[in-house]
Order: sequence, then C-alpha cells, then structure tokens
Amino acid sequence: MGDMVKRDAPAGPEPNRVDKGRRRFLWVTGGLGLAWLGLSAYPVYRYIAPRPVPDPFGKEGRAAVKKVSPADVAARGAGANGSYGQRGCIVFRTPQGELKAFDSKCTHAGCNVNFAGDSISCHCHGGIYDFDGKNVSGPPPRPLTPLKVFEENGVLYVAPSDQGKEV
Amino acid sequence: MDDSRRKPDSDGPVGSTEGTPAAVDIPDSRFAEIPPDAEKVLPPADSVAGKASRAFLRRVPIWPVIEFLSHKKVPRHKHSFWYTLGSMGLFFLIVQIVTGVLLMIYYSPSQPWSSVQRIVMEIPFGGLIRSIHHWSANLMLLALFVHLFSTFFMKAYRPPRELTWLTGLALLGTTMFLGFSGYLLPWDDLSFFATRVGISEIEKTPLLGTWVAGLVRGGPDVTVDTIGRFYPLHVVVLPLLLLGILGIHLFFVQVQGVSEPDSFRALTPEKKRYHRFFSEYLVNEIPIWMALTALLVALSALFPRVLAPEADPGAAAPEGIKPEWYFMVPFQMLKLFPGSLEFLGMALTGLIPLLFLVVPFVDRTVPADRRGRVVARLGVGFLAFLAGMTAWGILS
Repeated sequence: MGDMVKRDAPAGPEPNRVDKGRRRFLWVTGGLGLAWLGLSAYPVYRYIAPRPVPDPFGKEGRAAVKKVSPADVAARGAGANGSYGQRGCIVFRTPQGELKAFDSKCTHAGCNVNFAGDSISCHCHGGIYDFDGKNVSGPPPRPLTPLKVFEENGVLYVAPSDQGKEV
Repeated sequence: MDDSRRKPDSDGPVGSTEGTPAAVDIPDSRFAEIPPDAEKVLPPADSVAGKASRAFLRRVPIWPVIEFLSHKKVPRHKHSFWYTLGSMGLFFLIVQIVTGVLLMIYYSPSQPWSSVQRIVMEIPFGGLIRSIHHWSANLMLLALFVHLFSTFFMKAYRPPRELTWLTGLALLGTTMFLGFSGYLLPWDDLSFFATRVGISEIEKTPLLGTWVAGLVRGGPDVTVDTIGRFYPLHVVVLPLLLLGILGIHLFFVQVQGVSEPDSFRALTPEKKRYHRFFSEYLVNEIPIWMALTALLVALSALFPRVLAPEADPGAAAPEGIKPEWYFMVPFQMLKLFPGSLEFLGMALTGLIPLLFLVVPFVDRTVPADRRGRVVARLGVGFLAFLAGMTAWGILS
C-alpha cells in the first residue's frame, strides 16, 4: 500500500504531505519501539538489581559475635577474628585492658584485616591499623569502622558504636 | 547439468498430476549453475562426493567464498612465527570451551566450593580437567598478550587494519573478564577476596561505579548471590560475546589478508615467498597444537590447581594473597598509590587500554616514518613497564 502511494504521487504538493505523514509514522513507530524496549527492560532490571541486605544488628540493635568467646579476649593483648551476621569483625583487649571491636573490612579495597596480637594488618595490600582502628601505614585511606562490644551471659555482642549506650 | 534439470521431475511423486507439470520449468532458476572453475576441482560427477558437493553448491552457491579462501596466503619471513600466536589463542579457547562444558556437568552454583571439591576429589580425571581449564586460561591470556605485542611491533594495526586491532583489544578485554568471573566460581578464600577487591575498585569509579558494583555483586557485599551473577556471565554471556567478536575479527583478517611487515613489503615480487593458508599453513599448525596439548597436560599434572579453603566472608584474608599474573599491574598500582592517591593510581591503570586503543590512529604511515619509530620505542618502554610491574608483583 505504501509503495502505491509513493508511485502515484510523483510531483506537486503531494510528496510533501506524504513526507510529513511518513515522518510522523516513523516518530510514532520509533516511540512505540522505545516504549516497548523500556517496558521489557524494566522487569529485567528489577530482577537483576541488588537485593536489600538485612541489617546485621537486627531489631535488637545488636549481633552475637561468632568464633570469639569472652575467654578468648580475657587476657590483655588477646584477640581474634570473628564474625557477626554476614560480616567479619575483630575483637581484642588492649594492653591497657579495654575491650574493643572493629568491623574487619579494610577501608582500602575491602579485604578482611587480621588481628595478629601486636598489630592489625591487611594481607591483601599491606595496610596497617593501630588498636584505635586508625590507619597508620600502607594504602588504607580511613580508619576501621568501630563497633561497641559487650558480654552478656557468656556471649560477646557487637552493636553500632554511635548507638551504643545500654542494651 | 541437464541431469539436474530433470531431477526434480524424476524425483517427484509418481502420478501426482496437480502442480508437477508447471513445476518442471521452474527448477532451472531455483538452482545455481556450477561455475566452470569449480567443475575443475570438484570430485567426479558420478561419485557420491561429487554428487553431494554439486547438489550443495547448486543450493548454496558459495563457490566465490571458497575460491577466495583458497587463494589466502601467509607471508614467509623471519618473523613468520609470530603469526601463529592468534591460532594458539584460538586453540586455548577451544580447550576452554570443552573443559568448561565438562566442568559444568558437576559444578553447582548453589554449592560452589563442595561441588568443585567433588570434581577434584571424586570424579575421575576431575582434577586434571579443572587444572587444564586453569592452565589453558592462563596460557590463552599469555598467547593473546604476545599476539598483541607481536602485532604491535610488526605494526599490523596501521590502516586498513584499525578495526581488526580494535576487535582484537575487545577480545583481550572479554577474555580478562572471563578470567575474573571464572575466578570467583570455586568460592575459595582466594577467589572470594580477589572478587571483593576487584569489585571494590569498580565501585570507586566516579558516577556509575557504585551502581555497577551493586549490580555485579547483587548487593553491598560479595555473597553466594554474586556467583548467581558471575556463573551465567562466565558460561553464557561472555563466551557468546567472545565468539561474536572473534567471528568479526577473523572475518576482517580473511577479507584484508595477513599483514606484511615493512621489511617484507619492500622485497621485489620474485623474492616474496608465501605459504598457502589452505592447507599448507594450517597443516603446519597441527604439530603446534599437539605440543600445546602436551604442555597443558604436563603443567596440569606437575602444578595442579589447588582448591583453597572454602570462602569465609568473616575471616581475615589469607596471608600472601595475590591475583593472577594478568591482574598484577593494577594490584601493584593499588599498593603503590596509598590513601587519597589511590584514585590517581587507578586512573593511570585505566589509561593502559586507552593507549592501545589510540595506537592505530596515531601511527598510520607505511613504511614507518619517524613517528612510527617513536611509537615502537614507546612500545618497548611500555612493555618493559608492564613486565616489570608484573614481575615485582609476583616476587613481592
């Protein structure tokens, strides 16, 4: 049908009108095509978009520390790597006797730092932190994230440090 | 030929009257003629092979393509060896596809570590096939890097071959992504932290970094959900992409012919010697491919790929953790540019592929002029830089 219109209108004002009509048709088709692609892409995007992760501290605002017991941090200078929720942490008692905890995710490239008794270091790119979690050597740009830590019924718990008053 | 014209008639159902009489005249235009050149080389028309090949060419008239390929030739000179690097890469790709499909039989993305452990510990030859997949991946990247630098130093990227060069770079990039995505799948502590570091660098890219990183990981951290993304990427999306780009790359090479270095181009026509690609050159590749098979088996037997302890997202990163050698340059840059300088280090690393991309648009003259010689010298320095950083990373 389109071919016939083209061939039957060779001269005069007619082609102009045909061109306009064709242009509008192309715009509408293009618009519909984009809408079709967009409508198809939206559910696909939602399907592959990252899923929200549950708050590691949950409703109670605290999380039990796994793999580290109060006995492991009883002595001054003792400590270990543990985990809470899906995350890693280090819990230790400073030489001065203070119990401390940090999220173990290195602020540089995301490896988990290692508590080695005398230092906190990252095996990936050689970052070193002091017992206040402050980055003192190597590539890390920021201090470790501090956590509030306490013992209850023989279990260690961590909570966000800025919330941490009484549980 | 007359025989063929009558064929549809004689093959037609016996006694079917409707349609057949009219169809008798049509077949002539439906089937292509066999070109006289083809008649000279095809098997005798009365043999089975002769009948089959003629029947095929009548239906799919691709004789010009076959003839074009039969004239394909490869220059013979003292640097000819380097032409084989691309075919080595292709060989390793075939090994990757075969061993990859075999690994998929027992690999399970919902039990990544234990299913790989089963492949290694229980399945006959499982450890060998996994090790070959590992070694072939490494050698494929090595072959591609050598291919890249040999085409660079032979200046094969100059017009009209810019697009061949660019598709080659795309192939190298896709292969590196295949290496990165496959590395996570065994879910041991090496692969876990390597992926965490790799994606955290993507995350630091300005503008879209955070969004892309979340999309790739499936959340704010690397979890088993990340395998759900990397597995289909590694076994479907990236291989399809690779094969598609490879098809274009090889098509360009076929159409343009093999690049001749300036020294060969300067020879008089009588002094130029060539191999015919079919089959002179191809047959010479077979012993190389056999030697590579032996090399893969030997490396896999002597240095089998270890399966490190299962990833524990809470535990400290293992001591002495390092990426594969082909990611050693960004690894070193991460260590060398601390704190707020890190962005500078990553920006410099990001410049490396860009330098390769612009080469065919900077150095265009045949034979090489002063600028061409400067580019070659810069290339030597750049290769020394990459090799030095890689060696430093491996030894540190």
